Amino acid sequence: MEIRDVPCPFCGCLCDDISVRLDDNRILGVENCCTLGNAKFLSKGRLQHPIMRKNGKWVEVSYEEAIDETARILSDAVRPLLYGWSGTVGEAQVVGVHLGEEIGALIDSTTSVCHNPSILAIQEVGHPGCTLGQVKNRADLVIYWGCNPIEAHPRHMSRYTTYADGYFIDNTVTDRKVIVVDIRRSEGAKVADEFIQIKPGGDYLVLSALRAMVRGRDDVVPDSVAGVKKEQLQRVASLMQKAKFGAVFFGLGITMSRGKYKNVRNAIELVSELNRKTKFTISAMRGHFNVYGFNEVLTWMAGYPFAVDFSRGIAFYNPGETTVIDLLERKEPDACLVIASDPGAHFPKSTIEHMAAIPTVQIDPCVNATTALCQVQIPVAITGIEAAGTAYRMDGVPIRMKKIIETNFPTDQEILERIVTRIREMKRDG
Amino acid sequence: MAEILLKNAYVIDPISGINGELMDIAISGSRIVEEASQKAEVIDCQGYLTLPGGIDSHTHTSGTKVNFGRYMSPEDMRAGRTARRGPMHITSGYSVPTTYGNSYRYSALGYTTLIEGAMAPLEARHTHEEFKFTPLQDSFANTLFDGNWGMLRALEEGDITRAAAIIAWTLTAVKGFAIKLTNPGGTEAWGFGKNISCINEKIPTFDLTPADIIKGAIRANEMLHLPHSVHLHCNNLGTPGNYTCTIGTFDLVPDINDKRQSLYATHVQFHSYGGSGWGDFCSKSEPVARKVDFSPQIVIDMGQVMFGRTTTMTADGPMEFNLYRLHHDKWSNHDVELETGSGIIPVNYRKKNLVNSIMWAIGLELALLVKNPWQCLLTTDNPNGAPFVKYPEIIALLMSKQYRDAEFATIHPDTEKRVPLPALDRELNWHEIAVMTRAGQARALGIIDLGKGYLMPGAEADIAIYPIKTDEIDPSAEYEKVIAGFSRTEYTIKRGRVVSRRGDAIIDGENTTYWVKPKVPAVYDMQHDPAFIELFERYYTVRMSNYPVQEEYLHRNYCIETETDL
Amino acid sequence: MNVTITFRNRTNPFIPIEAEMITPDAFLQDKEILVGEGNRTVPLEALADLVIEGDGFSIEEVDILIRGDSSRVKRVGEYMNGGTITIEGDIGMHCGNFMSGGRIEILGSAEGWLGREMQGGEILCHGDAGDYCASGYRGGRRGMRGGSVEVIGSVGDFACEHISGGEVLIHGNTGDYACAEMKGGTVTILGDSSRVCANMSAGTCYVYGSAEEMIPTFEKKGIVDHDGLLFHHFMGDVANRGRGHLYVARYTYLQ
Repeated sequence: MEIRDVPCPFCGCLCDDISVRLDDNRILGVENCCTLGNAKFLSKGRLQHPIMRKNGKWVEVSYEEAIDETARILSDAVRPLLYGWSGTVGEAQVVGVHLGEEIGALIDSTTSVCHNPSILAIQEVGHPGCTLGQVKNRADLVIYWGCNPIEAHPRHMSRYTTYADGYFIDNTVTDRKVIVVDIRRSEGAKVADEFIQIKPGGDYLVLSALRAMVRGRDDVVPDSVAGVKKEQLQRVASLMQKAKFGAVFFGLGITMSRGKYKNVRNAIELVSELNRKTKFTISAMRGHFNVYGFNEVLTWMAGYPFAVDFSRGIAFYNPGETTVIDLLERKEPDACLVIASDPGAHFPKSTIEHMAAIPTVQIDPCVNATTALCQVQIPVAITGIEAAGTAYRMDGVPIRMKKIIETNFPTDQEILERIVTRIREMKRDG
Repeated sequence: MAEILLKNAYVIDPISGINGELMDIAISGSRIVEEASQKAEVIDCQGYLTLPGGIDSHTHTSGTKVNFGRYMSPEDMRAGRTARRGPMHITSGYSVPTTYGNSYRYSALGYTTLIEGAMAPLEARHTHEEFKFTPLQDSFANTLFDGNWGMLRALEEGDITRAAAIIAWTLTAVKGFAIKLTNPGGTEAWGFGKNISCINEKIPTFDLTPADIIKGAIRANEMLHLPHSVHLHCNNLGTPGNYTCTIGTFDLVPDINDKRQSLYATHVQFHSYGGSGWGDFCSKSEPVARKVDFSPQIVIDMGQVMFGRTTTMTADGPMEFNLYRLHHDKWSNHDVELETGSGIIPVNYRKKNLVNSIMWAIGLELALLVKNPWQCLLTTDNPNGAPFVKYPEIIALLMSKQYRDAEFATIHPDTEKRVPLPALDRELNWHEIAVMTRAGQARALGIIDLGKGYLMPGAEADIAIYPIKTDEIDPSAEYEKVIAGFSRTEYTIKRGRVVSRRGDAIIDGENTTYWVKPKVPAVYDMQHDPAFIELFERYYTVRMSNYPVQEEYLHRNYCIETETDL
Repeated sequence: MNVTITFRNRTNPFIPIEAEMITPDAFLQDKEILVGEGNRTVPLEALADLVIEGDGFSIEEVDILIRGDSSRVKRVGEYMNGGTITIEGDIGMHCGNFMSGGRIEILGSAEGWLGREMQGGEILCHGDAGDYCASGYRGGRRGMRGGSVEVIGSVGDFACEHISGGEVLIHGNTGDYACAEMKGGTVTILGDSSRVCANMSAGTCYVYGSAEEMIPTFEKKGIVDHDGLLFHHFMGDVANRGRGHLYVARYTYLQ
């Protein structure tokens, strides 16, 4: 059996044209997918039962016992942290927000460690963006700044930009120019019409220089800015202004280098300035398939896209203070629930040590690096393959993820609802 | 079924021809009935003003751009935070509250039905998700067609039937309610950073003018027998001198529906400007209102501006960019492929700003000058002119010349030379306010048949009871009491349940989403139309099969099926 | 009225305490002081010994002394409008938020957001201050708008971000992006700074030490004498149509 048009639960491109071949409730093969997505569809090996540490050893327990223990841990906590969320669907995230509200927790997502600075920048100056189809149909200039689509978002160029069929583009290869900006010559640089190599940490300075040039103030710019010759900057500024539709995509190279959100802010302000001359848009290359969805859900429910502290009964937001890394470095949390992410694999050492020192529970289908930090792990259905729900593409387009395999594992949403119910029962019984 | 008996309600129900009668209302389940049994819970209304639940026929509360307004504005979010209390969830936001914030605050004002003003079809799923978390009001989504390539191509070929078929497919797919046109042609031009300056100017990318789109959409709308008319945000919003464009647009509208208007023009305040620039900017509410008086086929809403901070958000991307260039504050833009655009910027309407003062006057003038209140409905285009929590103040301004004069004395002194407001003595009465806040909306939206907007047996039991005794208040002098009375209902009843009591939501509600499904013959079913499929598969970035909004998103919904002339 | 608040040692010293009610005004009005410890709300006495001596009839007569470990106590002096607060040790985040009058003296160091969105009054910090000293809130339009902040030590990143009024004196160095988006006020940095005044539109900033990695879009206006020293005078940020004044003793570009 073949199921067509399956959205891929891997990255923020959320390609929805995947064909999956099934036999007897097993995936045999996947078509149209990139290697990253392929690996996700075909992954094997998962945790079969909930597990808990008892006397220093992992033992298999029932779902009921695992949920009971989780509810107890979270109810007892004075500073509980609910973290992750980007690898699950909105329907589960909503329950997570209600849970956070109920227990006065701090809730944060993987956004905190990737595009957190993009959001801070947007909150200062806004975001001139568009859906990816606008770029596909109209853009004659595409700029990849501090990102590597070929490795991180392998189908981005073929589906949405450089190689995509476009309504107003006669020949997609010759009619679109590509500029790549990075600190090293990446794979993407090879397909670029213009490659700008910036000294590490110099993005902000280069962006300022381009802004001044677009305003006709080349005069103040020194001969070289962060390793880039003034002549090249002038050439690029001119290319930008001559474009009919320019699209900037940026990634962690900007958001995670020195200056963080100021870099993004400067890029946005360059794009806003360019809109006085022509059409320009800017977009973040979001990572997890539903990292943007969590931002949307938390925003409509609590008013802020990530890092919300419910401890005082209202929603408080202040990245730098209410963000997961800062919180763990200050050793604040006294309990932690991790869902749909793997902080154990990516977080700094000191923060992982704190997670290991407090009762931490993980909801995840598989044993991963975070498992080692946990007291309890509850396995669930794999979202986007065994569980349906809503995900938001990197440009904000909501797509319904499909359930293509039957499973006996409960979904993230079901487990979270059971935890909420159990916590309410405990409260009621004192 | 649960029963409620409202005793001693002082009822104004314009649709049923009731203008201030003391009566009892019986409710059984979700509907108003002839009489209730002995078991009914009795609520003594003490002679308080009792109206059908409020209906906002044009507001922005749910969906992609509304949420982006929240997302980009932590300073607005912290300005309106409330704690968890009883069944009420936490809320944040002043001008763009969170979904719960919208729902609780609208409910406190007695509103039970909201029409989201602009839903981009591609992102419809998002709007429906937020509807689910706006629990105390029923939801309807105006669906954007201003730059819909499928429809534009059909109109370009002069094929209105095909345009109607595409509209029908799209509304059904995205669970939309009505056709919304926002700056028709302008949003498509904005795809390359351009705009349209007049209804007769050709769009750069299609062989069409805005006039062609408006006329075509009106005809298609009637072929599909949709409950509501075309809902239009005219071209040239916010530009000095745009009133000629507005009147020119009204001239295009035939009178082709005998139950309701043929065109609903929204936030007309923003489209009633005179002058050749900001220097000689002035009110042209008089010619616009006169035009409406002579055009029974047109209904407008005010789009009233009130002073203070708010957030502007619209599908009109180019207009928001122009606003950004004036204010130089933060600016967001979000074009939607093959369909429409959108933009957001925060603004602060100031009394000491002459243009803002004139805008404030124009909205009021429209409501006072248009003779028939059924043709001019009360809105702020929430939150564009002001957040909806300002409605009670607007009602009081319309009911009191004294209040208007007191306010007028505090605004920019030059306003007097630019607007007719000081000369207008009209003071609206309770009945006219009831028309402009619920009855008129129900008729204009074509939802009376669904039981909306009136209080007779058979109607939905959506009821607002305000702590106002009309015989004890002189609204022209005691406008503070009018404001207080409309700010917080004594009871808001939604579908037969008391959902809000003295400003607090008291139960978790569950709303209904209304959507339309025109019955289209097989030959016009776009699902199987090769050219339509090809357009989709080549130029959208979402597969056609993944585009429609699934039933999962409409937990409780009501499908309005219409017969068509296709 | 002399108020002495001595924080006791806690079993878990890492749980933050939010104490926005610790202001002279609240004590003058004899309010019950409630604080948040994590997600619990408790009376201040549950966490600290409280001694109140004498009466106060006006805000100017109220002096608060904070002793013990207050390094995790946030929001002390929020909306303070008069009187004094003296902190013997370190203080947690958001000390003096929105303050409009009175004086806060910190004998130790301050965590982030010291004097955030401050409108008036004085803050003196003898140690170091964290990130976002005298800055604004997220999505900020305006940071500190009035009053004065003096830090004897150094400050973290984003000091005086969005500042639009008031005076700030930093004796030590700043981290990255001091005075970013500056819109008004005067900031004096006696030590070194990095990428100072990025995207400023108005206001005045002096850097007596070295301005590292100068933003390349400032216009050189010449050399001026200030305070008996020679400074390079720049105006900008040109990228932003800005007309702010930046005076630096020395500077480098990242070329």
